[in-house]
Amino acid sequence: MKGKDLINIGIFSAIYFVVVMVFAMLGFIPVFMPLLAVLVPIAGGIPFMLFLTKVKKFGMILIMSIIMGIMMILTGMGFFTVIVSAVTGLCAELVYRSGQYKSASKAVLTHGVFGMWLWGNYLPLFFMADKYWSTRKDFGQDYIDALTKLMPMWMCPVLLVTAFVCGIIGGLLGKAVMKKHFVKAGIV
Amino acid sequence: MTELRDVSFSYAAAPEKGCIKHMDLTVPDGQFLLLTGSSGCGKSTVIRLLNGLVPHFFEGELSGDVLIDGRSVPKMELYETAALQGTVFQNPRAQFFTVDTTGELAFGCENQGLPENEILSRIGRTVERFRISDLMDRNIFCMSGGEKQKIACASVDTLQPPLILLDEPSANLDYASTMQLREIIKLWKSEGRTIIAAEHRLFYLWDIADRALLIRDGAIAEDWSRADMDAMTNEKLAEYGLRSIHDTDPVTIERSCSRGEVFNVKPHKKFTFPAEIPLHEITAVVGRNGAGKTTFLRHMCRSARRSRRIFMVMQDVDHQLFTDSVLEEVLISLAQEDEAKAREILRSLDLEDFADRHPMSLSGGQKQRVAIACAAASGRDILLFDEPTSGLDYEHMRQTADLLRQLREQGRTVLVVTHDSELIEACCTNIIRLES
Amino acid sequence: MIKLDPRTKLLLLLAEAVIVLGGLGGGNAEPFKTVFMALPFLLLLTVKKYRTAVIGAVLLGLGLAAGHIPTEGRGAIVLLMCSGILTRFVPSLMMGNYVMSSTRVSEFTAAMERMHVTPKITIPMAVMFRFFPTVKEECSAIGEAMKMRDIRLGGSKVMQMAEYRLVPMMTCSVKIGEELSAAALTRGLGSPVKRTNVCRIGFRAADIAMFLLCAAALVWIIWRSVT
Repeated sequence: MKGKDLINIGIFSAIYFVVVMVFAMLGFIPVFMPLLAVLVPIAGGIPFMLFLTKVKKFGMILIMSIIMGIMMILTGMGFFTVIVSAVTGLCAELVYRSGQYKSASKAVLTHGVFGMWLWGNYLPLFFMADKYWSTRKDFGQDYIDALTKLMPMWMCPVLLVTAFVCGIIGGLLGKAVMKKHFVKAGIV
Repeated sequence: MTELRDVSFSYAAAPEKGCIKHMDLTVPDGQFLLLTGSSGCGKSTVIRLLNGLVPHFFEGELSGDVLIDGRSVPKMELYETAALQGTVFQNPRAQFFTVDTTGELAFGCENQGLPENEILSRIGRTVERFRISDLMDRNIFCMSGGEKQKIACASVDTLQPPLILLDEPSANLDYASTMQLREIIKLWKSEGRTIIAAEHRLFYLWDIADRALLIRDGAIAEDWSRADMDAMTNEKLAEYGLRSIHDTDPVTIERSCSRGEVFNVKPHKKFTFPAEIPLHEITAVVGRNGAGKTTFLRHMCRSARRSRRIFMVMQDVDHQLFTDSVLEEVLISLAQEDEAKAREILRSLDLEDFADRHPMSLSGGQKQRVAIACAAASGRDILLFDEPTSGLDYEHMRQTADLLRQLREQGRTVLVVTHDSELIEACCTNIIRLES
Repeated sequence: MIKLDPRTKLLLLLAEAVIVLGGLGGGNAEPFKTVFMALPFLLLLTVKKYRTAVIGAVLLGLGLAAGHIPTEGRGAIVLLMCSGILTRFVPSLMMGNYVMSSTRVSEFTAAMERMHVTPKITIPMAVMFRFFPTVKEECSAIGEAMKMRDIRLGGSKVMQMAEYRLVPMMTCSVKIGEELSAAALTRGLGSPVKRTNVCRIGFRAADIAMFLLCAAALVWIIWRSVT
């Protein structure tokens, strides 16, 4: 990887992050939070597919994914995301590499895998929850029951799968926009 | 010594544009060389050959060799070339890397791994020589184009490179900032640096350069010595398709038109803007930095949003074209979708051949015309232009002037905010001075 | 004004994530949990981000209140979920806001370098932070142009509206990015030479105080959980 590649990662990370953030704003309304696993991977498809046209060397996708994790630390979403994003980023990298960094269908799949980084943000709601709620006995058993009913453990893998599926949709959307705009405009 | 030895290059992305054909050039140390010629003639490519962007960043087919002090630029990595030259680019917005000015001046030295104390003392020296202490520790995003360009020069200066390259550095600057840029270049020249500048606007460099080259179709067409340059006249330059060497401050140009119908401008809270704009004329709006040119444009657009009479063609016209075809662009501007009408508008602006093209794939002048087509489609009769000729060569400037005259003949009112005195002289029928 | 080292800020983010967001130690974390819930707001005040602090405080207040409203059935579930999410995420997000708004890019890269993070991460991140304001400038320029052109896009064309805003934003950003990239490369970015940094960072009294606070919280939670 050369300087040019590192700068490209930075530029596309910025564009990707801004696009994702516009949609993630909805997540400030707590009820919409699970919905982010749908919106973010779809919206992210457009900038990410554009990014993939610049990816020719191993590690670029992985680094972008790790940066998303670090951004989650810096914006206060916790430390879990960076662990998840390192794994999903590496997987996405391997998928795209298996298509020699040019296969269009692999690119869509790559985005599906890449989009799963977001799932890390939900982890504090599930894995720390047991401990958390057990110490809040003063709220009463109803409280705990109600919450586990709404955010049951099975939601956890469901969100992951949702992120992947919507990532594929986002990838296809990105591919369509590429064809309609970026190729015609001559910027890729 | 800086040399090009039988260099040929063509870009992989667009082999026709800006290519270089068998060029030989020797620039002795301490010379200030001016490269000029029409857009796409290859003068920027020469700059890129010298700073290594060709072939390392802009890929293509290269033969021959480029040498700075005997070292081959194409064979070096970009970061090695970085120590030998400093480049000031055209767009002040895109060439700073950090957000704060001090960090920016340190950036190049930091990349070379110079010790911190050395860097700080170099920054101090540059700040003193450039007299920019008031610009230190500021956010670059909050600075004017002229200030940004000064910081760009200063950050080249801290690296103390033997070779300084300038690629149309004044394209986005107003008159006053351009003259400040001239002072910086004079300072470098007095210190014996080798300077190579590619420029359309000749007036601020012509008398301080040691030598000028006219590049045409990727080859050196003319090689003028200092004496040749002294003997040069504007008329002769125009024959070569070059811009004026006369230093005319746009603020000093006089123009006035007979009083006819006017458009009334609402008063602004802070600035005193002219109250009336004459209709069916081409009015130039000029003023010094901080006289409120940008505020004026914004104010005009805002106060006329209701009446829907005003349309602004932005300096960066890319910002106002949204769709995937020229035709669609016009269609969404029409009150009712009507393809026949849209095509008619395109025809009136010589755009019918481009109807299916993506607006972003067009040239700068064509994009301007697409924006004007949108204005026509939405029925606006007052057109504002924000620096329509920034970075244009003589030929394209003439074309813009013709276009403005054509719009006036069609009965439209044109308002041009500009620092281009040649454009004003070529087509404007009235002038408004903004005073701060 | 309290000025913290970027590394201290990272530690505070970690503490916030573990104690408030992650709920380490549960009830045993009191009174430190309350301290860490309040801390981001105090820090925001030191950098004069009053509006953000007030909005955050209102959200956190709503979250705390929602947990105490006695309701039944479906409404209770929604309320509780909102309460849980707000009380966990708001303090952490506020800390994030403080960190992002109080740290200069060069400070951040200096801290990353001191922590021996590879330039393969710090360079793209520095570019990214540099590029955020550019993307914002592009967005607002496009937004303004849209208003002026007053494009006929009614109700059913929401998708098109998003397309016409996002696509030019990306096209313009990519173009500027190319220029930025070229300029940075001619100035030696990406050189294998070890980069220096003129930005001076270091630990001061306030940093030590924050370290002690985090250490005290950790010791307290462990001690309470064991006994």
